[in-house]
Amino acid sequence: MTITESGLIGKSVQRTDVIDKVTGCAVFVDDIQFGPNLLHSRLVRSPYPHALIKKIDTSKAEALPGVRAVVTGKDLTARLGLYLIDRPIFAYDRVRVYGEPVAGVVATSEDIAIEAVKLVEVEYEVLPAIYDPVESAQPDAPLIHPDLGSYSVVNFIFPEPGTNISEHFKIRKGDAEAAFAACEAVVEGRFRLPPIEHVPLETHTSVALCEKTGQVTLWATSQSPFAMRDMIAQSLGISHNKLRVIAPLVGGGFGGKAGVTMEACAVVMAQAVEGRPVKLRLTREEEFVGTSTRQSLISDIKVGCDKDGNLQAMELTYYFGGGAYNDYGVNIARAAGYSCTGPYDVPNVKADSLCVYTNTPVGSAMRGFGMPEIHWGLEQIMDRLAEEVGMDPVEFRHINCVQTDDEIVSGMKMNPIDLDACIDKVTKAIKWDIKEEPTAPNKKRGKGIAIMWKAPAMPPNPGSSAVVRFNEDATLQVEVGGQEIGQGAFTVAAQIAADVLGVPYEKVTVSTPIDTKYSPYEWQTVASRLTWSMGNAVKAAAEDARFQILETVADAWNEDIEDLTIKDGIVISFKSEREQPLNKMVIYGMPNDDFEGWKGGPVIGRGHFMPTYVTNLDPETGQGTRAVVHYTVGAQAVDLEVDLETGQLEVLNIASVYDVGRAINPDLIMTQIEGGAVHGMSSAYEAMIFNEDGVVINPSFVDYRIATIADIPRKIHGDYVETPIDDGPWGARGVGEHVMVQTAPAIANALYDAVGIRFSDLPLSADKIYMAMEEKESTQKD
Amino acid sequence: MLARPGLPDFEYIKAETFQDVFDWMKEKGDDLKLLMGGTDLFIQMRDRGEGPGFLLDVKGLPGMREISFDRKNGLKVGAAATLNSLSSHPNSLTYYSVLCQAADTVGNYQLRNLATLGGNICNASPSADMSPAALVYDGIVVVESPRGERELSLDQFWVGPGKTALEKDEFLKRIHFPTPPDKAAGSYYKLGRSKMGDLAIVGVAVLAFPDPNQPAGVQFRIGINSTAPTAYRVPAVEEFLAQNPTTDEILYKAAEMAMDISSPIEDQRATAIYQKKMVRNLVFKGLKEVREILK
Amino acid sequence: MAKHTITLIINGQSEELLVPSNMTLLHVLRDQLGLTGTKNGCEAGECGACTVLVDGEPINSCLVLAVELEGREITTIEGLSSNGKLTPLQQAFADLNAVQCGYCTPGMLMAGTALLKRNPNPTAEEIQKALVGNLCRCTGYQRIIDAIMEASRNGGAQ
Repeated sequence: MTITESGLIGKSVQRTDVIDKVTGCAVFVDDIQFGPNLLHSRLVRSPYPHALIKKIDTSKAEALPGVRAVVTGKDLTARLGLYLIDRPIFAYDRVRVYGEPVAGVVATSEDIAIEAVKLVEVEYEVLPAIYDPVESAQPDAPLIHPDLGSYSVVNFIFPEPGTNISEHFKIRKGDAEAAFAACEAVVEGRFRLPPIEHVPLETHTSVALCEKTGQVTLWATSQSPFAMRDMIAQSLGISHNKLRVIAPLVGGGFGGKAGVTMEACAVVMAQAVEGRPVKLRLTREEEFVGTSTRQSLISDIKVGCDKDGNLQAMELTYYFGGGAYNDYGVNIARAAGYSCTGPYDVPNVKADSLCVYTNTPVGSAMRGFGMPEIHWGLEQIMDRLAEEVGMDPVEFRHINCVQTDDEIVSGMKMNPIDLDACIDKVTKAIKWDIKEEPTAPNKKRGKGIAIMWKAPAMPPNPGSSAVVRFNEDATLQVEVGGQEIGQGAFTVAAQIAADVLGVPYEKVTVSTPIDTKYSPYEWQTVASRLTWSMGNAVKAAAEDARFQILETVADAWNEDIEDLTIKDGIVISFKSEREQPLNKMVIYGMPNDDFEGWKGGPVIGRGHFMPTYVTNLDPETGQGTRAVVHYTVGAQAVDLEVDLETGQLEVLNIASVYDVGRAINPDLIMTQIEGGAVHGMSSAYEAMIFNEDGVVINPSFVDYRIATIADIPRKIHGDYVETPIDDGPWGARGVGEHVMVQTAPAIANALYDAVGIRFSDLPLSADKIYMAMEEKESTQKD
Repeated sequence: MLARPGLPDFEYIKAETFQDVFDWMKEKGDDLKLLMGGTDLFIQMRDRGEGPGFLLDVKGLPGMREISFDRKNGLKVGAAATLNSLSSHPNSLTYYSVLCQAADTVGNYQLRNLATLGGNICNASPSADMSPAALVYDGIVVVESPRGERELSLDQFWVGPGKTALEKDEFLKRIHFPTPPDKAAGSYYKLGRSKMGDLAIVGVAVLAFPDPNQPAGVQFRIGINSTAPTAYRVPAVEEFLAQNPTTDEILYKAAEMAMDISSPIEDQRATAIYQKKMVRNLVFKGLKEVREILK
Repeated sequence: MAKHTITLIINGQSEELLVPSNMTLLHVLRDQLGLTGTKNGCEAGECGACTVLVDGEPINSCLVLAVELEGREITTIEGLSSNGKLTPLQQAFADLNAVQCGYCTPGMLMAGTALLKRNPNPTAEEIQKALVGNLCRCTGYQRIIDAIMEASRNGGAQ
């Protein structure tokens, strides 16, 4: 039953949270006032990237006046994880990355906690550290997790105990070897990218309170309060109803606040000081060093096509540097595996996607979840192959890109999408066919294109639920478990509820903070899934409430429910033209005609959505009926200039178009497209930098530079197309991650067009570009 | 070790007179530091996790915030003048445009409302943007001590990365920029990793003025940062330029000479070879553009 | 460590405070006065989330000690709008969706307000130069530039 009464679907209504945010009223975790009872905590962190812990002496720290507790992992051997349960809360026998928490100090002031940290004495036995995933994947590499075989793991992840490989996903489709032999052109290459960071403006913060009853409350900067509760409850043996997670607005997540970062440490410390809240707030430097990162990736890619440019075969090995703990990382390697070809129709594929332990920060979910990492190499090698057969990169993509109903690499049938339309729109916007003059004589100009796909990477059964609850005056509360991280999730939820129920949008409030005690369950705010999944749940809840209202009124008026509708908060009959305002009726019901009794009562709508059709994939071939719920696709084209005197790039135009199924709030989609293009562009320059001792040497904005207001392209030409899917609200699916997936390779392709040099390794820098241009010039002279 | 949240403990004292400064410096010695804008000091204290027990705020001392100018003596800038007050001062805009340009590239607008010229100069960072500009205007530092005033040229003042020639009982009071030669014009060229707001990977200040006594008919002054232990002038290059016609070939050769003099260190921000090439390219660009401005 | 009694005029209100020497204005605002609209993003003067106005000029409140500001007038995000009426700049940010997660927003608004006061009709490049010290990870900045220009057409910094 798809009802669009108020015309809100497809309307760019104002964000529900924007007035709070422009007035400074919006509350984030660090803003909550806890009063004089609040204790402050700091973490003791490993100075080594890999070492055994021989001894921890906390006595001096405990003796410092003002210290209320010092906690270590000694009695905390339970581990955390969603897919692969491999991470201790505090390291107890071994540290696996620089900065890993080894102990926690709770004190009456932050200054005392800082002093106490210095007094915790830890004796380490340094072990050889390994940073490169290819090296770490070798059989003789020193083991980072010797007990890998004993970890709990979900049944769709396949670690290889006795190695550093935490996941090995395989695609064996057709016969790649034979197909290559028959190809007209074959190209191969190795592509590398370093770990990069989420860099939300709000650093991770948590406050935990453990009452004497054992009831724990945790305020956290969390995208996924239910997953956080589940992971911490499981590892600490707390029942779910005794662990309450409260998650207010999030100041930027990008995946970094999706799982558990250091919040379990806060809970453990709170348990040690019963009855007093304990705050653990990361400094910006700790945010750079001690939170999860995007994984590094080394990809070996070989592709071949026939003389007409039709892709015939691909052979790929992806080595993801998963970091010290690979919980999310294994799912990223898996997702990269079943989507390994990129958005292309390739009949023969041999692929191995590995997640490998390395002594680097925890590699985890970051916007794109494996897709930006693999598209960096894929989109460049496709350009190379196109060049090999003398074909324009756009034409090459048109003939090879995935179509609706195509059988894709995992054997699934592609859902309705129109990637060709996205390609057409970006090439038109960027004026692909026109070779434009650079804006100055000391510059060279070039254009590049890149396409992408991504599916939400989830377990097969991630659920959403929602409740809509009226107030007496017919204003509406929408209760969800999904989080507002800036993407506009609350706005879309309010829009959907208002539209289905026929109430004015301004009368709808989304209940915040998300609170596991009161909010309905939401798997996680990740995977660009909320508009689709939570949207379905909100729609269902609103339809449920709508039915309750119409049923009561139909009964009261003795009319058919099909003849009634709700408009502007009033139930109207098409037939009799009678009207019944929702005001009061939604709580108090309606009296019978002769006032002998009442009908109806408090209206509460409930709904849920959980996909039921995702299937397993064969562990040897990666084939299955339905690997994922759906794909979203898109195209980007970049027009840039290179300064020949300095190597600096200036992006002039980015065209960016995605197939969103259905635009519930068009302007919010545009904000994602614009923000994503800049984030994607920035990601081409970003890198975590380590010294030989595994220490992060750029843990600040000075040396980890993100795009500033002065770095943005002159113009972003954003747009979307709508090819609905059959199980999204009005056909909608998500786009929040997709919008940055292929910007870096689009830039690399444009750079090749401008100066004829291919860069296989990220990050780009003016330094590298300039020196490469000089080298090219000098080899050409020879 | 990671930077700590907030600042370590210290005692804040506000100096009212110069004698206050001498007395406190004598009494507390190494346990006291002078507080100017704080934009370098506070970050260093956070990074180290510790700092001096006493911070003596000298910004309110007589003349410390003042900027004054007269045609004969030039520009006098109180050590605590903020970079924004310097770069918006009508006389510095008119007569010391390169100084203003350089100031406007430091950090960001908010920082420039706190950062002071004196603090910047005393911090003696090899990559400070103010340094090349201050050098091409022949800046002189005026330091104060119980023994009275003392003047040093900037290249006497900067002795190494983060190191100045200040004695233990001296502090920087004023910076003096002599009146530039007639019709002097120039520009500051900064290469950073971001378009604005970064440190200088290489920064070059070029100032030129007509001089009929030179075979070239013009004299150039070139200041360079980030590619040596301190910022520096290149007198050999300036002399070469003065002796020769200002053709593109000569300007390029001069730029190559500057490149050869530069001695950058390779670090996470840039390779040494790139920094050297950028010295050459920025000097060349600067010389060409300033030559045109003068015409 | 001795504490100092100081008076700061915050959003037009005189506040007498007892502050330690080493407490920055940022922490006095957030922790002593509960004015949490001003955010802590880096404590190093790089991100601009802590931007407030002192005598109308924007500064990083993370890098100035409260004791240094005796008697000065300080404006925070809470002091921009009054009686529920948004300034033209706040309204423009809301209307143009120049806000996503909202964490950088107070700093952007303070820096933008100060810019419009000193330069009522800024060009895009002038806006970029004035706000390069305000980092945003969500929006891609273009709408922030557009909102400042929109506000300059609608009465500026009032």
